[in-house]
Amino acid sequence: MTFNFAVVFKFQDALLLGLLTTLKLTLICIVLGCALGFFLALARTSKSAILRGVSSIYVEFFRGTPVLVQLFWVFFCLPLVLGVELSNLASGVIALTLYMGAITSETFRASLKSVGQEQLDACVALGLSPWARTMNVVLPQAVLRAAPTLLSNCVSLFKESALVSAVGMADLMFVGQNISNNTARPVEVLTVVALIYFVIAFPLTRAVTVIEHRILKRLAV
Amino acid sequence: MSYTFDFASVFRNMAPLWDGLLVTIQLTIAANVIGLTLGFVLALLVMSRWRAIRLPVTLFIEFFRCTPAIIQIVWFFYCVPMLFNVFLGSVTMGIMALGLNLAAFNAEAYRASIQAVPREQLDAGVALGLTPFQRVLYIILPTAVRNSVPVLLTNGIGTFQQSALVAIVAVQDLMYQGKTLATLTYRPIETFTIVALVYFAVSFPVSQIVGYLERRREVLAS
Repeated sequence: MTFNFAVVFKFQDALLLGLLTTLKLTLICIVLGCALGFFLALARTSKSAILRGVSSIYVEFFRGTPVLVQLFWVFFCLPLVLGVELSNLASGVIALTLYMGAITSETFRASLKSVGQEQLDACVALGLSPWARTMNVVLPQAVLRAAPTLLSNCVSLFKESALVSAVGMADLMFVGQNISNNTARPVEVLTVVALIYFVIAFPLTRAVTVIEHRILKRLAV
Repeated sequence: MSYTFDFASVFRNMAPLWDGLLVTIQLTIAANVIGLTLGFVLALLVMSRWRAIRLPVTLFIEFFRCTPAIIQIVWFFYCVPMLFNVFLGSVTMGIMALGLNLAAFNAEAYRASIQAVPREQLDAGVALGLTPFQRVLYIILPTAVRNSVPVLLTNGIGTFQQSALVAIVAVQDLMYQGKTLATLTYRPIETFTIVALVYFAVSFPVSQIVGYLERRREVLAS
Protein backbone atom coordinates (compact mmCIF):
# COMPACT_ATOMS: atom_id res chain seq x y z
CA MET A 1 0.00 0.00 0.00
CA THR A 2 1.08 3.57 -0.54
CA PHE A 3 1.31 6.17 2.16
CA ASN A 4 0.16 9.72 1.82
CA PHE A 5 1.14 11.75 4.83
CA ALA A 6 0.17 14.96 3.03
CA VAL A 7 -3.43 14.11 3.95
CA VAL A 8 -2.61 14.69 7.58
CA PHE A 9 -1.18 18.16 7.00
CA LYS A 10 -4.41 19.34 5.43
CA PHE A 11 -6.01 18.82 8.82
CA GLN A 12 -3.31 20.38 10.94
CA ASP A 13 -5.60 23.13 12.24
CA ALA A 14 -8.16 20.61 13.45
CA LEU A 15 -5.46 18.50 15.08
CA LEU A 16 -4.03 21.59 16.74
CA LEU A 17 -7.43 22.48 18.17
CA GLY A 18 -7.77 18.92 19.46
CA LEU A 19 -4.33 19.10 21.02
CA LEU A 20 -5.22 22.38 22.73
CA THR A 21 -8.34 20.76 24.22
CA THR A 22 -6.25 17.84 25.44
CA LEU A 23 -3.66 20.16 27.00
CA LYS A 24 -6.28 22.43 28.56
CA LEU A 25 -8.09 19.47 30.09
CA THR A 26 -4.83 17.93 31.32
CA LEU A 27 -3.55 21.15 32.91
CA ILE A 28 -6.81 21.94 34.70
CA CYS A 29 -6.98 18.41 36.06
CA ILE A 30 -3.33 18.42 37.12
CA VAL A 31 -3.85 21.54 39.25
CA LEU A 32 -7.17 20.44 40.76
CA GLY A 33 -6.11 16.80 41.07
CA CYS A 34 -2.85 17.58 42.89
CA ALA A 35 -4.66 19.80 45.39
CA LEU A 36 -7.30 17.10 45.94
CA GLY A 37 -4.59 14.45 46.23
CA PHE A 38 -2.67 16.37 48.87
CA PHE A 39 -5.71 16.80 51.09
CA LEU A 40 -6.72 13.17 50.54
CA ALA A 41 -3.25 12.10 51.64
CA LEU A 42 -3.62 14.22 54.79
CA ALA A 43 -7.03 12.67 55.39
CA ARG A 44 -5.61 9.17 55.01
CA THR A 45 -2.99 9.86 57.66
CA SER A 46 -5.32 11.76 60.01
CA LYS A 47 -6.28 10.67 63.52
CA SER A 48 -10.00 10.51 62.76
CA ALA A 49 -11.10 7.00 61.77
CA ILE A 50 -14.02 8.35 59.73
CA LEU A 51 -11.78 10.60 57.61
CA ARG A 52 -9.32 7.75 57.14
CA GLY A 53 -12.04 5.28 56.20
CA VAL A 54 -13.84 7.53 53.71
CA SER A 55 -10.65 8.71 52.00
CA SER A 56 -9.28 5.15 51.79
CA ILE A 57 -12.45 3.82 50.19
CA TYR A 58 -12.41 6.72 47.74
CA VAL A 59 -8.79 6.19 46.74
CA GLU A 60 -9.06 2.41 46.49
CA PHE A 61 -12.21 2.66 44.43
CA PHE A 62 -10.75 5.06 41.90
CA ARG A 63 -7.52 3.10 41.68
CA GLY A 64 -9.40 -0.18 41.40
CA THR A 65 -11.72 0.62 38.50
CA PRO A 66 -10.95 1.45 34.86
CA VAL A 67 -10.80 5.17 34.08
CA LEU A 68 -13.14 4.49 31.18
CA VAL A 69 -15.83 3.26 33.56
CA GLN A 70 -15.30 6.32 35.76
CA LEU A 71 -15.67 8.58 32.73
CA PHE A 72 -18.87 6.86 31.64
CA TRP A 73 -20.22 7.13 35.14
CA VAL A 74 -19.53 10.86 35.34
CA PHE A 75 -20.82 11.55 31.83
CA PHE A 76 -24.01 9.54 31.98
CA CYS A 77 -24.87 9.10 35.63
CA LEU A 78 -23.70 12.23 37.43
CA PRO A 79 -26.12 14.53 35.53
CA LEU A 80 -28.98 12.21 36.52
CA VAL A 81 -27.85 12.08 40.13
CA LEU A 82 -27.29 15.84 40.44
CA GLY A 83 -30.22 16.80 38.25
CA VAL A 84 -28.16 19.36 36.29
CA GLU A 85 -26.77 19.32 32.78
CA LEU A 86 -22.98 19.29 32.77
CA SER A 87 -20.98 20.53 29.82
CA ASN A 88 -18.57 18.10 28.16
CA LEU A 89 -15.56 19.94 29.51
CA ALA A 90 -17.00 20.07 33.03
CA SER A 91 -17.70 16.32 33.02
CA GLY A 92 -14.23 15.58 31.69
CA VAL A 93 -12.64 17.81 34.31
CA ILE A 94 -14.65 16.21 37.11
CA ALA A 95 -13.86 12.64 36.05
CA LEU A 96 -10.15 13.14 35.46
CA THR A 97 -9.70 15.31 38.56
CA LEU A 98 -11.25 12.61 40.73
CA TYR A 99 -8.92 10.06 39.14
CA MET A 100 -5.85 12.31 39.43
CA GLY A 101 -6.71 13.03 43.07
CA ALA A 102 -6.71 9.31 43.82
CA ILE A 103 -3.37 8.54 42.19
CA THR A 104 -1.53 11.63 43.48
CA SER A 105 -2.80 10.99 47.01
CA GLU A 106 -0.75 7.77 47.01
CA THR A 107 2.29 9.73 45.87
CA PHE A 108 1.80 12.36 48.57
CA ARG A 109 1.18 9.72 51.19
CA ALA A 110 4.54 8.12 50.50
CA SER A 111 6.29 11.49 50.65
CA LEU A 112 4.43 12.55 53.80
CA LYS A 113 5.78 9.47 55.51
CA SER A 114 9.29 10.65 54.74
CA VAL A 115 8.83 13.86 56.78
CA GLY A 116 10.39 12.82 60.07
CA GLN A 117 8.48 12.64 63.33
CA GLU A 118 11.16 14.89 64.91
CA GLN A 119 10.10 17.72 62.64
CA LEU A 120 6.49 17.39 63.71
CA ASP A 121 7.64 17.33 67.34
CA ALA A 122 9.69 20.46 66.66
CA CYS A 123 6.54 22.15 65.33
CA VAL A 124 4.75 21.35 68.58
CA ALA A 125 7.74 22.65 70.55
CA LEU A 126 7.70 25.87 68.53
CA GLY A 127 3.99 26.23 69.14
CA LEU A 128 3.01 26.26 65.44
CA SER A 129 -0.66 25.90 64.62
CA PRO A 130 -1.66 22.73 62.70
CA TRP A 131 -2.30 24.88 59.61
CA ALA A 132 1.17 26.47 59.76
CA ARG A 133 2.69 23.06 60.35
CA THR A 134 1.00 21.60 57.30
CA MET A 135 1.59 24.56 54.99
CA ASN A 136 5.10 25.64 55.99
CA VAL A 137 6.78 22.47 57.18
CA VAL A 138 5.09 19.41 55.69
CA LEU A 139 3.88 20.69 52.30
CA PRO A 140 7.19 22.05 50.93
CA GLN A 141 9.12 18.88 51.76
CA ALA A 142 6.33 16.57 50.65
CA VAL A 143 6.00 18.33 47.30
CA LEU A 144 9.75 18.34 46.72
CA ARG A 145 10.13 14.64 47.42
CA ALA A 146 6.98 13.78 45.52
CA ALA A 147 8.07 15.82 42.47
CA PRO A 148 9.39 12.97 40.27
CA THR A 149 6.42 10.68 40.96
CA LEU A 150 3.98 13.57 40.58
CA LEU A 151 5.45 14.34 37.20
CA SER A 152 4.95 10.76 36.07
CA ASN A 153 1.39 10.94 37.44
CA CYS A 154 0.94 13.98 35.19
CA VAL A 155 2.19 12.01 32.19
CA SER A 156 -0.28 9.22 33.04
CA LEU A 157 -3.08 11.77 33.22
CA PHE A 158 -2.05 13.23 29.87
CA LYS A 159 -2.30 9.75 28.37
CA GLU A 160 -5.56 8.87 30.14
CA SER A 161 -7.08 12.14 28.90
CA ALA A 162 -7.33 10.49 25.46
CA LEU A 163 -10.21 8.45 26.90
CA VAL A 164 -12.55 11.45 26.85
CA SER A 165 -12.75 10.88 23.09
CA ALA A 166 -14.88 7.82 23.91
CA VAL A 167 -17.58 10.05 25.40
CA GLY A 168 -17.47 12.49 22.50
CA MET A 169 -15.19 15.25 23.74
CA ALA A 170 -13.27 16.78 20.83
CA ASP A 171 -9.73 16.18 22.09
CA LEU A 172 -6.72 15.16 20.00
CA MET A 173 -7.72 11.50 19.94
CA PHE A 174 -11.31 12.28 18.94
CA VAL A 175 -10.25 14.64 16.15
CA GLY A 176 -7.71 12.09 14.95
CA GLN A 177 -10.27 9.30 14.82
CA ASN A 178 -12.73 11.54 13.00
CA ILE A 179 -10.19 12.51 10.37
CA SER A 180 -9.06 8.91 10.00
CA ASN A 181 -12.66 7.74 9.47
CA ASN A 182 -13.45 10.49 6.99
CA THR A 183 -10.31 10.19 4.90
CA ALA A 184 -10.06 6.39 5.20
CA ARG A 185 -6.36 6.87 5.93
CA PRO A 186 -6.07 5.43 9.45
CA VAL A 187 -2.42 4.44 9.12
CA GLU A 188 -1.15 7.95 8.43
CA VAL A 189 -3.54 9.87 10.67
CA LEU A 190 -3.41 7.59 13.71
CA THR A 191 0.36 7.30 13.48
CA VAL A 192 0.73 11.08 13.44
CA VAL A 193 -1.65 11.42 16.40
CA ALA A 194 0.34 8.79 18.31
CA LEU A 195 3.55 10.65 17.48
CA ILE A 196 2.11 13.91 18.79
CA TYR A 197 1.30 12.24 22.11
CA PHE A 198 4.75 10.68 22.15
CA VAL A 199 6.55 13.95 21.42
CA ILE A 200 4.91 15.53 24.46
CA ALA A 201 5.02 12.61 26.88
CA PHE A 202 8.53 11.32 26.16
CA PRO A 203 10.51 14.45 27.20
CA LEU A 204 8.43 14.57 30.38
CA THR A 205 9.34 11.00 31.31
CA ARG A 206 13.01 11.87 30.72
CA ALA A 207 12.54 14.89 32.97
CA VAL A 208 11.35 12.54 35.71
CA THR A 209 14.71 10.74 35.63
CA VAL A 210 16.63 14.01 35.55
CA ILE A 211 14.77 15.35 38.57
CA GLU A 212 15.32 12.11 40.44
CA HIS A 213 19.02 12.02 39.77
CA ARG A 214 20.19 15.60 39.75
CA ILE A 215 17.89 17.89 41.65
CA LEU A 216 16.97 15.63 44.51
CA LYS A 217 20.55 14.50 45.04
CA ARG A 218 21.77 18.10 45.06
CA LEU A 219 19.17 19.05 47.60
CA ALA A 220 20.04 15.92 49.56
CA VAL A 221 16.46 15.22 50.55
CA MET B 1 -32.84 13.94 43.65
CA SER B 2 -35.96 12.37 42.19
CA TYR B 3 -34.55 9.15 40.83
CA THR B 4 -35.77 5.72 41.79
CA PHE B 5 -33.16 3.04 41.58
CA ASP B 6 -33.94 -0.22 39.90
CA PHE B 7 -31.03 -2.58 40.31
CA ALA B 8 -33.32 -5.51 39.50
CA SER B 9 -33.24 -4.53 35.82
CA VAL B 10 -29.49 -5.16 35.87
CA PHE B 11 -29.72 -8.36 37.85
CA ARG B 12 -32.21 -9.74 35.35
CA ASN B 13 -29.52 -9.30 32.69
CA MET B 14 -26.51 -10.70 34.47
CA ALA B 15 -25.79 -13.33 31.78
CA PRO B 16 -24.26 -10.92 29.20
CA LEU B 17 -22.25 -9.19 31.93
CA TRP B 18 -20.93 -12.54 33.04
CA ASP B 19 -19.94 -13.40 29.44
CA GLY B 20 -18.26 -10.02 29.22
CA LEU B 21 -16.31 -10.62 32.42
CA LEU B 22 -15.06 -13.92 31.00
CA VAL B 23 -13.80 -12.16 27.87
CA THR B 24 -12.14 -9.49 30.05
CA ILE B 25 -10.41 -12.14 32.15
CA GLN B 26 -9.34 -14.03 29.07
CA LEU B 27 -7.83 -10.82 27.64
CA THR B 28 -6.09 -10.09 30.93
CA ILE B 29 -4.54 -13.52 31.37
CA ALA B 30 -3.37 -13.86 27.78
CA ALA B 31 -1.96 -10.31 27.76
CA ASN B 32 -0.14 -11.05 31.02
CA VAL B 33 1.43 -14.18 29.57
CA ILE B 34 2.78 -12.09 26.68
CA GLY B 35 3.73 -9.24 28.99
CA LEU B 36 5.63 -11.36 31.49
CA THR B 37 7.65 -13.32 28.93
CA LEU B 38 8.20 -10.74 26.20
CA GLY B 39 8.83 -8.12 28.87
CA PHE B 40 11.72 -10.13 30.28
CA VAL B 41 13.26 -10.64 26.85
CA LEU B 42 12.92 -6.91 26.13
CA ALA B 43 14.56 -6.08 29.46
CA LEU B 44 17.56 -8.26 28.59
CA LEU B 45 17.77 -6.75 25.09
CA VAL B 46 17.56 -3.19 26.37
CA MET B 47 20.61 -3.82 28.54
CA SER B 48 22.50 -5.38 25.67
CA ARG B 49 26.07 -4.34 24.92
CA TRP B 50 25.25 -3.53 21.29
CA ARG B 51 23.71 -0.23 20.43
CA ALA B 52 22.04 -1.69 17.34
CA ILE B 53 19.94 -3.90 19.60
CA ARG B 54 19.49 -1.42 22.43
CA LEU B 55 18.18 1.42 20.29
CA PRO B 56 15.20 -0.20 18.53
CA VAL B 57 14.13 -1.98 21.71
CA THR B 58 14.32 1.26 23.70
CA LEU B 59 12.25 2.98 21.04
CA PHE B 60 9.65 0.21 21.18
CA ILE B 61 9.40 0.38 24.96
CA GLU B 62 9.29 4.18 25.13
CA PHE B 63 6.74 4.36 22.36
CA PHE B 64 4.35 2.08 24.20
CA ARG B 65 4.96 3.82 27.51
CA CYS B 66 4.54 7.34 26.17
CA THR B 67 1.39 7.10 24.08
CA PRO B 68 -2.17 6.54 25.33
CA ALA B 69 -3.23 2.89 25.45
CA ILE B 70 -6.42 3.79 23.61
CA ILE B 71 -4.53 4.99 20.55
CA GLN B 72 -2.40 1.85 20.58
CA ILE B 73 -5.53 -0.27 20.54
CA VAL B 74 -7.29 1.78 17.87
CA TRP B 75 -4.07 1.83 15.83
CA PHE B 76 -3.77 -1.93 16.12
CA PHE B 77 -7.34 -2.58 15.02
CA TYR B 78 -7.26 -0.20 12.05
CA CYS B 79 -3.68 -0.30 10.86
CA VAL B 80 -2.39 -3.83 11.39
CA PRO B 81 -4.95 -5.36 8.99
CA MET B 82 -4.15 -2.69 6.38
CA LEU B 83 -0.38 -2.83 6.75
CA PHE B 84 0.05 -6.58 6.93
CA ASN B 85 -3.11 -7.63 5.15
CA VAL B 86 -4.18 -9.98 7.93
CA PHE B 87 -7.21 -9.95 10.09
CA LEU B 88 -7.13 -11.98 13.24
CA GLY B 89 -10.13 -12.35 15.52
CA SER B 90 -10.97 -9.21 17.47
CA VAL B 91 -10.13 -10.84 20.80
CA THR B 92 -6.73 -11.93 19.43
CA MET B 93 -6.05 -8.39 18.25
CA GLY B 94 -7.03 -7.06 21.65
CA ILE B 95 -4.72 -9.55 23.35
CA MET B 96 -1.82 -8.53 21.14
CA ALA B 97 -2.30 -4.81 21.66
CA LEU B 98 -2.67 -5.17 25.42
CA GLY B 99 0.15 -7.71 25.60
CA LEU B 100 2.65 -5.49 23.78
CA ASN B 101 1.66 -2.54 25.95
CA LEU B 102 2.15 -4.60 29.10
CA ALA B 103 5.45 -6.02 27.82
CA ALA B 104 6.84 -2.48 27.53
CA PHE B 105 5.86 -1.63 31.10
CA ASN B 106 7.08 -4.95 32.48
CA ALA B 107 10.40 -4.57 30.68
CA GLU B 108 11.02 -1.43 32.73
CA ALA B 109 10.09 -3.26 35.93
CA TYR B 110 12.45 -6.14 35.14
CA ARG B 111 15.25 -3.77 34.11
CA ALA B 112 14.99 -1.77 37.34
CA SER B 113 15.14 -4.90 39.48
CA ILE B 114 17.95 -6.47 37.46
CA GLN B 115 20.02 -3.33 37.89
CA ALA B 116 19.21 -3.31 41.59
CA VAL B 117 21.03 -6.64 42.10
CA PRO B 118 24.14 -5.56 44.05
CA ARG B 119 27.40 -5.49 42.13
CA GLU B 120 29.16 -7.48 44.88
CA GLN B 121 26.98 -10.50 44.23
CA LEU B 122 28.15 -10.61 40.62
CA ASP B 123 31.74 -10.18 41.74
CA ALA B 124 31.22 -13.07 44.11
CA GLY B 125 29.90 -15.07 41.18
CA VAL B 126 33.08 -14.33 39.23
CA ALA B 127 35.19 -15.25 42.27
CA LEU B 128 33.35 -18.56 42.54
CA GLY B 129 34.16 -19.24 38.90
CA LEU B 130 30.58 -19.21 37.60
CA THR B 131 30.15 -18.76 33.86
CA PRO B 132 28.28 -15.63 32.68
CA PHE B 133 25.25 -17.77 31.89
CA GLN B 134 25.28 -19.32 35.37
CA ARG B 135 25.59 -15.85 36.90
CA VAL B 136 22.45 -14.73 35.10
CA LEU B 137 20.56 -17.92 35.89
CA TYR B 138 21.48 -18.41 39.54
CA ILE B 139 22.27 -14.91 40.81
CA ILE B 140 20.47 -12.28 38.79
CA LEU B 141 17.29 -14.08 37.79
CA PRO B 142 16.02 -15.24 41.20
CA THR B 143 16.64 -11.91 42.94
CA ALA B 144 15.42 -9.81 40.04
CA VAL B 145 12.20 -11.74 39.53
CA ARG B 146 11.45 -11.75 43.26
CA ASN B 147 12.06 -8.01 43.54
CA SER B 148 9.91 -7.17 40.57
CA VAL B 149 6.85 -9.18 41.68
CA PRO B 150 4.95 -6.23 43.25
CA VAL B 151 5.42 -4.02 40.18
CA LEU B 152 4.57 -6.88 37.82
CA LEU B 153 1.37 -7.55 39.75
CA THR B 154 0.48 -3.86 39.69
CA ASN B 155 1.11 -3.73 35.94
CA GLY B 156 -0.90 -6.92 35.45
CA ILE B 157 -3.91 -5.51 37.24
CA GLY B 158 -3.38 -2.28 35.30
CA THR B 159 -3.87 -4.31 32.13
CA PHE B 160 -7.05 -5.78 33.58
CA GLN B 161 -8.33 -2.21 33.88
CA GLN B 162 -6.91 -1.08 30.53
CA SER B 163 -8.67 -4.02 28.88
CA ALA B 164 -11.91 -2.03 29.23
CA LEU B 165 -10.59 0.04 26.32
CA VAL B 166 -11.21 -2.75 23.82
CA ALA B 167 -14.91 -2.00 24.26
CA ILE B 168 -14.26 1.04 22.04
CA VAL B 169 -13.32 -1.22 19.14
CA ALA B 170 -16.35 -3.43 19.85
CA VAL B 171 -14.72 -6.41 21.53
CA GLN B 172 -17.50 -7.78 23.70
CA ASP B 173 -15.84 -7.47 27.07
CA LEU B 174 -17.39 -6.47 30.39
CA MET B 175 -17.35 -2.76 29.57
CA TYR B 176 -18.94 -3.33 26.16
CA GLN B 177 -21.71 -5.47 27.62
CA GLY B 178 -22.26 -2.87 30.31
CA LYS B 179 -22.57 -0.11 27.71
CA THR B 180 -25.04 -2.16 25.67
CA LEU B 181 -27.07 -3.02 28.73
CA ALA B 182 -27.16 0.61 29.88
CA THR B 183 -28.55 1.64 26.50
CA LEU B 184 -31.07 -1.21 26.32
CA THR B 185 -32.48 -0.79 29.80
CA TYR B 186 -32.13 3.01 30.12
CA ARG B 187 -30.51 2.33 33.47
CA PRO B 188 -27.00 3.79 33.15
CA ILE B 189 -26.52 4.53 36.88
CA GLU B 190 -27.30 1.02 38.03
CA THR B 191 -25.46 -0.68 35.17
CA PHE B 192 -22.26 1.35 35.30
CA THR B 193 -22.21 1.15 39.09
CA ILE B 194 -22.39 -2.63 38.96
CA VAL B 195 -19.80 -2.81 36.18
CA ALA B 196 -17.49 -0.59 38.25
CA LEU B 197 -18.04 -2.79 41.29
CA VAL B 198 -17.21 -5.93 39.32
CA TYR B 199 -13.92 -4.41 38.14
CA PHE B 200 -13.23 -3.25 41.67
CA ALA B 201 -13.98 -6.67 43.15
CA VAL B 202 -11.25 -8.19 40.99
CA SER B 203 -8.59 -5.45 41.28
CA PHE B 204 -8.91 -4.67 44.97
CA PRO B 205 -7.74 -8.05 46.35
CA VAL B 206 -4.74 -7.99 44.02
CA SER B 207 -3.74 -4.47 45.08
CA GLN B 208 -4.05 -5.59 48.72
CA ILE B 209 -1.68 -8.49 47.99
CA VAL B 210 0.78 -6.03 46.43
CA GLY B 211 0.53 -3.83 49.53
CA TYR B 212 1.17 -6.85 51.75
CA LEU B 213 4.21 -7.94 49.71
CA GLU B 214 5.66 -4.43 49.85
CA ARG B 215 5.14 -4.10 53.58
CA ARG B 216 6.73 -7.49 54.14
CA ARG B 217 9.73 -6.49 52.07
CA GLU B 218 10.16 -3.27 54.05
CA VAL B 219 10.13 -5.31 57.26
CA LEU B 220 12.63 -7.80 55.85
CA ALA B 221 14.88 -5.03 54.57
CA SER B 222 15.01 -3.20 57.90
